[in-house]
Amino acid sequence: MSNMRDFNYVDSSKKQDSEQIRESLTYWKDVWRRLKGNLLAMIGLGGVILVVLFGVVGPYLTPYGYQDQQNDYSNLPPKLTVYQISDENYVYLTQSYYLLLLNSDGELVGRLTNTSRDFVNRIYHYDFDGEDIAIDYSYRIYEPDGEIDYTVTYQGETTTLPTDKIQNKTFLLGSDHLGRDILTRLMYGARISLVISLVAAIVNLFIGVIYGAISGFASSRTDNIMMRVVDIINSIPLVIYVILLMVILDKSNIWTIILAIGTVYWVGMARLVRGQIISLKDQEFVLAARVIGVSQGKIIARHLIPNSLGPIIVSLTMSIPSAIFTEAFLSFIGIGISAPQASWGTMANEAIAQLEQYPYQMLLPALAIGITVLSFNFLGDGLRSALDPRLRKG
Amino acid sequence: MRSYYIKRILSAIFTLFIIATLTFFMMKLMPGGPFARERPIDPIILERLEEKYNLNDPIIVQYFKYMLGVVQFDFGVSYKELGVNVTDTILQKFPISLKLGLYATIAVIIIGIPIGIVSALKQNTWIDQAAMFIATIGVTIPSFVVAVVYISFVAGTLGWVDAFGLDKWSSYIGPVIALAAYALSFVSRLTRSSMLEVLRQDYIRTARANGLPKYKVLYKHALKNALIPVVTYLGPMFAAIITGSFVVERVFAIGGIGKYYVESVSNRDYTMIMGVTIFYAVIYIFMVLLVDIAYSWIDPRIKFGKSSGE
Repeated sequence: MSNMRDFNYVDSSKKQDSEQIRESLTYWKDVWRRLKGNLLAMIGLGGVILVVLFGVVGPYLTPYGYQDQQNDYSNLPPKLTVYQISDENYVYLTQSYYLLLLNSDGELVGRLTNTSRDFVNRIYHYDFDGEDIAIDYSYRIYEPDGEIDYTVTYQGETTTLPTDKIQNKTFLLGSDHLGRDILTRLMYGARISLVISLVAAIVNLFIGVIYGAISGFASSRTDNIMMRVVDIINSIPLVIYVILLMVILDKSNIWTIILAIGTVYWVGMARLVRGQIISLKDQEFVLAARVIGVSQGKIIARHLIPNSLGPIIVSLTMSIPSAIFTEAFLSFIGIGISAPQASWGTMANEAIAQLEQYPYQMLLPALAIGITVLSFNFLGDGLRSALDPRLRKG
Repeated sequence: MRSYYIKRILSAIFTLFIIATLTFFMMKLMPGGPFARERPIDPIILERLEEKYNLNDPIIVQYFKYMLGVVQFDFGVSYKELGVNVTDTILQKFPISLKLGLYATIAVIIIGIPIGIVSALKQNTWIDQAAMFIATIGVTIPSFVVAVVYISFVAGTLGWVDAFGLDKWSSYIGPVIALAAYALSFVSRLTRSSMLEVLRQDYIRTARANGLPKYKVLYKHALKNALIPVVTYLGPMFAAIITGSFVVERVFAIGGIGKYYVESVSNRDYTMIMGVTIFYAVIYIFMVLLVDIAYSWIDPRIKFGKSSGE
């Protein structure tokens, strides 16, 4: 016999079957739930948020402006190969034979003055607090593939091999050919890309959606005329249009790019929305709305557009990378954002001239563009399958 | 059927007409005029120049003269380089760009489509995942980065090929890769998803159930249908590759029409810009037209004459 005291009487209310109480899922909650389950989409969303933070908050955190130049510190890579000369001091020789002094944290302290140059023996002398530092770079000339690049002689002691590769703390991602901080410029570049994508999105949403909706809903004659306009805009590659507009506006700055993108980037969206509206407008719920006397504008705004919101959002996320590409491309060929403003395209363009010596200057803006576009693509793909569950099996 | 073709061709011509008109008036709207220099030109010389280029006529007369020229494929003379004819320049520079564009398109077709098919057939295996990973990278990297990285590493560090110009066959590799990278990735993704869609169809199951050999199901039934969206994309893609070659031509220092276009843009050479823009539009519209017409025999299900909501 078990001990009766181990058991209690159950309250009668607990005997009832517990009812399944679950919050009812709206369409958008369901979309969010599906989106959350998609790893790539979440990575994309994270990437987008990071880029936004990078561009919006970033510039407040760096000590530099996008056009602050420090000519002594030009073309410094993010990782510096340094020679130790005393406990606290390291030196770094740049490609243009500036000898820079660093402290043990990797912060740049200053440039040492060049006291004499011995071109015959290929030795440069620099002055450090009254003491002489000799750099013998003959190895570099006579044995370019040898182990020793150059030697540093300080207080009679010669160091032949670099002591360490340390992180450049003054310019975390290095500096460009004018001694500007690349990280800072990337942040300002992110700003420009974000502004451009914002404009592209707004233009898509307002002009594209409204134009497409009216065209799809209107009589076939109006529709024909409106679509002919779209056809005409669409029959020149958008980039050429943008170039043409930039030529006409005769200035190149962010406003002209915005204007140029704003004039043409809505046509794809207009086509998509028109198609959606045409397939929706003969459905029963629209008929019902008409029967009870809802005005045309309200039918479009309340019934047709909300029902095509899924494809609109997907197309919106997908149009942003192309706007970012266009800006980078225009700036790259020199008719977009002009110096000294920093855009990813301009930075890539500036890096070409010295690509072989300083590949990081090209790699970084390219990486920034790649990450941003990839994030938007992942997010767009995820949204596509989240918004339209029929596609999920693919 | 024939009336559909005629309608399409007429509307293409009308579109071209509108584009030429727009381009003309846009150029006229430009501040400064073609001869605005930093140092003002002598008024007498300016007058002679304007007379020479018919710029003294009323704008409507100028417009008709220009359009008359465009119809005869005569885009006038360059404003900046003396005695250079725009049409001649286009005809001289275009073959280079066309050649590059053709090679890139061929690369897209013979590499991109098979990759897509294999990915679809081996769905969710490592082959599929690797191919789609690379394809995703391919659509996210701008062509100028591809070009520059190629120049610096394959041509520079490794020294396998010449970086600039088009003197040897090997110097085509870089520009073609840079031109094709985006389209190739896009086409392989498109082929894959379209193939997956087709493979799920009932008629494929029926064909299999009837005991058809696997390759027959694939080539006769699946592939034919799966390639329809790909073919539709190829037309505009070819036009986009040809007209989008400025960057690649600039980076690789190839004297094609794209490089020239960018130069004329920065020189503000108005007739040149107008001519090349209209020429680009012709290519683009022609390719779209070609695809539209080809569509009817690729996919007989498509009905013409009815405006379908896309």
